[in-house]
Amino acid sequence: MEMVLMDNLWVIIGTFLVLLMIGGFILLEAGSTRMKNAGHIAGKTIFTIGIGSLVFWAVGYGFIYGEGNAFIGLSNFFYGDASFSEEGLSPAVDFMFQMMFALIALTIAFGGFAERAKLSAYVVFAVLFSAFVYPVVAHWIWGGGWLADHGKQDFAGSTVVHLTGAMAALAATIILKPRIGKYNKDGSSNELAGHNQVYTALAVLLLWVGWFGFNGASTFGLSDAFFGYVILNTQLAAAAGAIAAMFLVWALTGKADVPTTLNGALAGLVAITASCGFVEPWAAVLIGAIGGLIVYGSMRFFDRARIDDPIFALSVHGTVGVWGTISTGFFATEALSVGMDWGLPGLFYNGGFEQLGVQILGVVASGVYAFIVSFIILKVMDKVMGGIRVTEEEEIIGLDLSEHGSYGYPENIPHPTEREAK
Amino acid sequence: MDYEELRAFKEIEQKKIMTYQDWNTFHNQLMSRTVNIAVEKYQEEQGTLPASFAFFVMGSAARCEQSVITDQDHGIIYDGEVEKEPFLLLGKEIAVGLEYIGYPMCDGKVMASEPLWTNSIDGWHRQVKEWLEESSWESLRHFSTFFDSRVLVGNADFLSQIKQVAFLYLKRNPSTYMRLVDNVGFIRKSIGIFGQLLPERSGRRTGSIHLKTAAFFPYVNAIRLLALLNNCDQHSTTSRIAELKGTYPFLEEYEELFKQLLQFRFNHTKNNTDYDDVHYLSVHTLTKSEKQELKEYMKKGAQLFEIVKKEIKKECSIWE
Repeated sequence: MEMVLMDNLWVIIGTFLVLLMIGGFILLEAGSTRMKNAGHIAGKTIFTIGIGSLVFWAVGYGFIYGEGNAFIGLSNFFYGDASFSEEGLSPAVDFMFQMMFALIALTIAFGGFAERAKLSAYVVFAVLFSAFVYPVVAHWIWGGGWLADHGKQDFAGSTVVHLTGAMAALAATIILKPRIGKYNKDGSSNELAGHNQVYTALAVLLLWVGWFGFNGASTFGLSDAFFGYVILNTQLAAAAGAIAAMFLVWALTGKADVPTTLNGALAGLVAITASCGFVEPWAAVLIGAIGGLIVYGSMRFFDRARIDDPIFALSVHGTVGVWGTISTGFFATEALSVGMDWGLPGLFYNGGFEQLGVQILGVVASGVYAFIVSFIILKVMDKVMGGIRVTEEEEIIGLDLSEHGSYGYPENIPHPTEREAK
Repeated sequence: MDYEELRAFKEIEQKKIMTYQDWNTFHNQLMSRTVNIAVEKYQEEQGTLPASFAFFVMGSAARCEQSVITDQDHGIIYDGEVEKEPFLLLGKEIAVGLEYIGYPMCDGKVMASEPLWTNSIDGWHRQVKEWLEESSWESLRHFSTFFDSRVLVGNADFLSQIKQVAFLYLKRNPSTYMRLVDNVGFIRKSIGIFGQLLPERSGRRTGSIHLKTAAFFPYVNAIRLLALLNNCDQHSTTSRIAELKGTYPFLEEYEELFKQLLQFRFNHTKNNTDYDDVHYLSVHTLTKSEKQELKEYMKKGAQLFEIVKKEIKKECSIWE
């Protein structure tokens, strides 16, 4: 009995840690964008997680974990269950933990909206994404859907959370088009640098700590203290990601670019999210390091493809989310896959190509679904709402003033003098 | 001849020029004529100047290392303690004239129209001493700018006298040499660890190398430092090398390289029409062998700077 209560306590602590990651995303997005949009970026994150929470309670949880079919769950709507059995997690604790993942995916998706989307677009898309995009993919993999039947491995959500969010972000960036001033007529791109690297660095630290809850509490219990092993792998991958990204950008450009280094740490975390419970520590280092290397290549790729991704959501969560998911197909050990009754060992552990194939199938199916449905939703919104992008003048003024009427840094706008105030 | 005729002359003649040496001779002629027109114009409007003077150019113009388009850097030295105002007015007239001919004004205001760059002989003596005594980052930058100078119109002795003051001060205060080394010690990294060129990665200059800072500065700065150490009064990098290579035989190798670099820049930028573009070289327009050539210039420049730094450190340690 005491062990069960301890399990519940651990998962609710994990819930709090993951919710605090939203604070990390607020700092990450605010730091990576320009001053004139800082208040907007921070404020919209709080109210969209409010929307996401209510939608998840109303239908999201039901679509994921309700009784249904291989495609979607269809019960447990407007969820509320005070029961407690002597085994496993209490339904409310489980519900809360699951909700946090939906909120993280939603916040990642909004990375693609940064600095140019209307506030109303955030509101509507928060509802539709939380109801029709995230829950479907989560059901397929975690809710007993068709990919779960294939033994798809995704320990804490490289695909379910990160890739799904990133695919929605990709759809948004394509429809919204680049920010004013991002690209020149000759096709070259300008760096619209974020206004505060200190915010961004603190964001990464906050997310890093939160990730211990994200991955560690995904063990759903304390038995064997397996969470410690998961957290160890998480730490190693993040460290390797930061170092690899910094080395690569320094080698290729001659400068140890700070945003790239920070994205490297996040890439390590995203990459290990799927595999943290399946692989050995040396593999965690490699998975994180490769994540750190490919995140930089991906950032350059999107920039050259004229896809404006201010927060680097597509690279950090999308490209690296794909790598993280596929990595278990290479590195999952027998003891941590078959031994845990979750899929098969990877290619490097005599598992052949089967698990790798399942992982690739999962990535393709989830990515395509999330992208297409998000694209359709956003296109329809664009038509119905008379555009989801603010006007040119509003974008130039900044969304703090144009959408909210007040400035995130009020000291920087003219104040009436004392005499004028009288 | 007035400014307009001179500009027309420039438009026609510049197309015929094929080497960087000829370009610099051409720049020299144009600037001298402009100054003479400005002096005549001033005297017609304001009367005779109160004292004899020397008009000098600085930077690449002084070193005869100008690119196809170059901005203005100049000053005036006048004889005797007379009013500065007439010379500032003349400086302004010259700056306006040069701009009309096709030399953009200097963003950093290193021009004879500014009080800092127009002084009497004694005023310049005091100014140079002050810069060296202060030894701040900015004052030493001003001094280095001033030291690369050449009289274009007027008495060349005025400038030589002032440079002697600098040499004397430095001999008495050798620690200032190391401050001067530190002042120009930053070399823009343009070759990566894989031996690849590192061009600009964003903005309108994406894919371009800033030739001035990445390739020229290490040579120019290193040789200026050696000139200061050896009381060498020559004004161009190549003439400084010619005078110094007796003492430093290793300079032989760099003399040829630097001349080749000047011609390399001329060949690749001669058709530029915008001052902002003239220092940038698009990597995509270079052939494989030209890229190798450029890398060699940059590597050797950085190497030269390191050698000179060690030489100066060694000599300073002997004096201390």
